[in-house]
Amino acid sequence: MIREFGPDEVVFILMAARWTLVLSAIAFAGGSVGGLLVAMARISPSRWLAGAAMVFIRFFQGTPPLMQLFLVFFGITIFGVDVAPLTAAAIALTLHASAFLGEIWRGCIQAVPSGQTEASWALGLRYGMRMRHIVLPQAARIAVAPTVGFAVQLIKVTSLASIIGFVELTRAGQIINNATYEPFMVFGLVALVYFAICWPLSLVARRMERRFARIAAR
Amino acid sequence: MKHNSIRMTLVAAGICLGLGGTAAAQTTPEEIQERGTVNIGMLVDFPPFGIINQQGQPDGYDADVAKLLAEDMGVEVNLVAVTGPNRIPYLLSNRVDLEVASLGITPERAERVDYSAPYAGISISLYGDGGLEISDPADLSGQTIGVARASTQDNALTAVAPDDATIQRFDDDASAVQALVSGQVPLIGASNTVIAELEGMAPDRFDTKFDLARQMQGIAVHPQSDELTAYLDDFLARMKENGELNAIHEKWLDAPLPDFVRTTSSAQEALDYYAE
Amino acid sequence: MNYNLDFAPVFARWPDLLSGAWVTLQLSFGAMALGLIVAVLGVWGRTAGPTPVQWLIAAYVEIIRNTPFIVQIFFIFFGLPALGIRFSPNVAALVALVINVTAYAIEILRAGIEAIPKGQTEAGTALAMSRLQIFRHVVFMPALRTVYPALTSQFIFLFLSTSVVSVISANDLTATGNDINAQTFASFEIYLVITAIYLVMSLGFSALFATIHRVAFSYPLSR
Repeated sequence: MIREFGPDEVVFILMAARWTLVLSAIAFAGGSVGGLLVAMARISPSRWLAGAAMVFIRFFQGTPPLMQLFLVFFGITIFGVDVAPLTAAAIALTLHASAFLGEIWRGCIQAVPSGQTEASWALGLRYGMRMRHIVLPQAARIAVAPTVGFAVQLIKVTSLASIIGFVELTRAGQIINNATYEPFMVFGLVALVYFAICWPLSLVARRMERRFARIAAR
Repeated sequence: MKHNSIRMTLVAAGICLGLGGTAAAQTTPEEIQERGTVNIGMLVDFPPFGIINQQGQPDGYDADVAKLLAEDMGVEVNLVAVTGPNRIPYLLSNRVDLEVASLGITPERAERVDYSAPYAGISISLYGDGGLEISDPADLSGQTIGVARASTQDNALTAVAPDDATIQRFDDDASAVQALVSGQVPLIGASNTVIAELEGMAPDRFDTKFDLARQMQGIAVHPQSDELTAYLDDFLARMKENGELNAIHEKWLDAPLPDFVRTTSSAQEALDYYAE
Repeated sequence: MNYNLDFAPVFARWPDLLSGAWVTLQLSFGAMALGLIVAVLGVWGRTAGPTPVQWLIAAYVEIIRNTPFIVQIFFIFFGLPALGIRFSPNVAALVALVINVTAYAIEILRAGIEAIPKGQTEAGTALAMSRLQIFRHVVFMPALRTVYPALTSQFIFLFLSTSVVSVISANDLTATGNDINAQTFASFEIYLVITAIYLVMSLGFSALFATIHRVAFSYPLSR
């Protein structure tokens, strides 16, 4: 049953990378919605809401992502619901991304100069209007760089889904390695694929950060 | 903040305690036949029992047995890839109807799941570097041995290894074998199938030191699924009789179905064998 | 069959949980300390070394920062023996953690150093300070103060990453959980308890870092 590390194996690993991308995309999309809610809750005048958001963030920033995956994976079934590894991973990583993006975006919203808020009060804008037309558009500009940076982190975290048996890039590498005994080649290739996905994003994030720093310094 | 986080954890635990009601239920053959599909869990990293073939599909001895079973039941088969440590949780949480996942029949596991009669069997030995002079458990003093966590190898080795032997537990067999091949451990507890594979890859590098145990693998089902277990026992008896199971064994392992598997007709007999 | 949470089998194993948590702490503190030392050397090479060294360190930082830790640890444990480099699982875990955190720490420290105005180092030169003195007193220490929050959150991230080392049979807290899971199958209960232990430890790290910050970097500077 020993196999050569040949073109079929390379293709298997490359094809599995799409599941890494799919999982990342789901978690990022879900996390964006969740993150916005968490950020708004975090800065809301209601102490209860702000506190709940804080606890949510602390939990996800203070526990290993692997445990978050395990808890969702083994926990949901207790409620009698059947989950596939992809679903469990998508839910866990969506919550994970919601907490991190929520905290990043809260920082960005609060970085908008308070004069802007005061000016909109003076114009008689209500909370919703103020957020939608004045604060969030400005916060969004600040948020782009750290958000792209977090996307890189999220793509790397999806590799943990391999441990609950979801066949994405890392798990595909493990399976091929177990059949070929070529760890150097296999994990070298797996690392290369991750690098090819993450590095361009890292470069974009850094360029945006620099540009923003220049604008801010002006 | 500190208190809030801890409280949150407790609240989460409380919710689970409060709502923890329905989950795993017994499975019957009728239920599966009505649905028209049987969800069968299997390993994909345990050659030659469970592998991913060149087309990227689950394959191997277990897959062929699973397909034969589905054919016998007259339903479609849905093969679900499980991992060694996840096998029992998958079953208990209803993600699969049953598992043809090279799950060795052990008394500990029999407390959590029900088994069919054995459909396969392997013998387990201590295996490792050819240069090491080891012929019985006492010689393991001071040695490091790799095994898959909580596997039959692990249990058998833990029972006989001296106190100053180091047992290194990996998540699955494949990682333990990987550790032996890459030189991270000099010895592993391994099945005859793994040993045959390694002999083919690196003849003369390793040899078998001594036998640890025999293991019989059963099809695992939800606890108290007596009807399904009876169905499976009957299915296996027929397939052993007509030689189909033997043909699959020859195909994947180049050897006939071991006698100790062929003559054991229920999980209880297999458990009695261990008790001896 | 009803699912009732049963924590008894988990708490029955508390000595194992404690020793697992102890390995996790050792790995975390070990990797933080070693990582910081190597990163200081690395950032010195990255900012003041000869060009090839700068390139090499930059490549190392980019490769590590853009690949997952679990792939790095597989590569180190299973791949490196092909080159004759072999570690026991816990040591391999420590090495992988150090290699990982060093890359992030170099990048964080470099950002802090780049934020030091040129005039500061020029003033150092004018005061006849040596290159090493300038690096230490004018560049590094102020930079460390600036990047302290980023560095410590990276350290907490490192601590959380240690949960992955069980894949190479290191016996940390998560590995202990996997052991108990394999024997009792009370998966959810076990991982809930383990998660709570991680949470308490990470809050402990946050408190420790905050205390260090107060003591070491309080204004006005004591000297």
